[in-house]
Amino acid sequence: MKKGILKQIKSSWVLYLMLFPALLYFSIFHVVPLIGMKLAFQDYRIIGDNVWVGWKHFKILFSSPAFLDVLKNTIIISVMKIVFFFPIPIILSLLINEVRVGKFRKYVQSIVYLPHFLSWVVIAGIWIAFLNPEDGGVNVIRSFFNMPSLDFMTSKDHIRWVLVFQEIWRSAGWDSIIYLAAILKISPSLYEAAKIDGASKIQQMRYITLPSLTSTIMTVFILNLGFFMNAGFDQVFNMMNTSVISVIDILDTYVYRIGLLNGQYAYATAASLFKGVIGVILILSTHFISKRFTGKGVW
Amino acid sequence: MMNKLKKLSVSTIIIYSILFLISLTVLVPLLHLLAMSLSDPLKVHKLSGLGIIPEGFSLINYKILLSNPLIIKSIFNTLLITIVGTAVNLLLTAMTAYVLARTKFPGRNFVMIFLIVIMVFEPGLIPEYLLVKNLGLLDTYASLILYKTINIFYLFIMMRFFEDVPESILEAARMDGAGHFRIFTKIMLPLSKPALATMGLFYGVYHWNEYFRATIYLTDTGKWPLQLVLRQFVVERDNTSLLGAQNFLSYDQIATLDFASLQAGTIIISVVPLLLIYPLILKYYAKGAFEGGVKD
Repeated sequence: MKKGILKQIKSSWVLYLMLFPALLYFSIFHVVPLIGMKLAFQDYRIIGDNVWVGWKHFKILFSSPAFLDVLKNTIIISVMKIVFFFPIPIILSLLINEVRVGKFRKYVQSIVYLPHFLSWVVIAGIWIAFLNPEDGGVNVIRSFFNMPSLDFMTSKDHIRWVLVFQEIWRSAGWDSIIYLAAILKISPSLYEAAKIDGASKIQQMRYITLPSLTSTIMTVFILNLGFFMNAGFDQVFNMMNTSVISVIDILDTYVYRIGLLNGQYAYATAASLFKGVIGVILILSTHFISKRFTGKGVW
Repeated sequence: MMNKLKKLSVSTIIIYSILFLISLTVLVPLLHLLAMSLSDPLKVHKLSGLGIIPEGFSLINYKILLSNPLIIKSIFNTLLITIVGTAVNLLLTAMTAYVLARTKFPGRNFVMIFLIVIMVFEPGLIPEYLLVKNLGLLDTYASLILYKTINIFYLFIMMRFFEDVPESILEAARMDGAGHFRIFTKIMLPLSKPALATMGLFYGVYHWNEYFRATIYLTDTGKWPLQLVLRQFVVERDNTSLLGAQNFLSYDQIATLDFASLQAGTIIISVVPLLLIYPLILKYYAKGAFEGGVKD
């Protein structure tokens, strides 16, 4: 028996050789920094070994109003995005599905997918120009309706909504793909039967399309929860300015600033480990919940 | 018949109008920036915030931007990182995916579990930065190429693509005495061109748009990718990009330049290459995502 396995291993040497680069890569660039997270329990030393300090950084974190604000912002922005972004791709897919003219459908799809492929820097640039208080497109529209000009980018009352709308602008089109794919799988005979019974378009949407999408909607919703603590680092990073930092600073931007800009490596690692642990708990629970209810997990 | 047509068209017109308006929210901001960058700097103030037709016509913004050594160098850097990075990504992802998807060997389950564990446990930013620093990779192109060289999500998608190649073809090759490496290069890769194109676009778009790792790893502006220069100019509002103008413009002329139009031009420069390959993206990338959805 043992000899058999040894023989198998020997005859598979080419396969191990082919796997080697990937395993080496993951060991160095993934496992090493993962172990490096132990820095959260240490004080960083430029010369000599780091010193173990136990929970010190976590105690400071949780008594720091700055950190608690950042945590609050992360949760608020994530909840806003789930509530106000999540339904939009579903609605969009229902609308696109009603388009029977091939050319128009293609046009709409290629345009609404486009923002997904733009970098966050470009997206921020486009929005900064469009929200410009002097002559930006949005304020041109506002002045048409006799509304005063607004500087959205520096307004604490508006900036989180800007993030939500920007997310919709960027991702609603692309995210509608998964629902469109699910709609295509619905048997056409259902619609034909409904038409014979005299069901209107709206009724068909309400009683056939939407119920058929339930499991897809569930899956996407659960998977999104797994990334709850992210709240969109790249977006916030590029939309950030000193006027609104207090309301949109999230965990990841905080770690970047405290750690890499201020050089408080250990303290920032503690914040990032806290976020990571919650993230892992969320991903694992959503995986098992999703597997249980829809038979499909995160992996 | 008449009645039916009429009834159809009311709801249809509403839906088509809504979708058309949505498409305008994407098109107008982009076309506005294009119009701004092509406008005459002395007339651009007349361009409405929703205007999509240039006021006057001038290529001066592009002449200035494309004579700026920082921008030229950054375009070269981005191309280099994107091409080399994507090639390395593709080779390693495909090779690993082939071994995991189509062969049997002792320890396969262990490797799969290792990958899933790695996917769930992401290291934090600081240890990643310290690793790159300790390896002496700060201020190197390699630091950007080596970040997510194998994206595990993409690896799993690639495995699914490879699973679709009929077993009979591989079996025939094995009968002919071909080894694994030969089967991988001579059969698997040629048969998976659409999958490789999809994967190449996944990685390529990522590299083209990447700016954050460059922000933290590169202090040498000569190695900066285009996105970072763009960020410096548009998000951080740092106007060093104007320096390129001094070559062929007098100071009076520089004073007349419109900063916002230059920003718009930079955005357009970084978006155009993406638009050029956008038909390919729709063909492979979007189709891959669409089929991924159908298959599940």
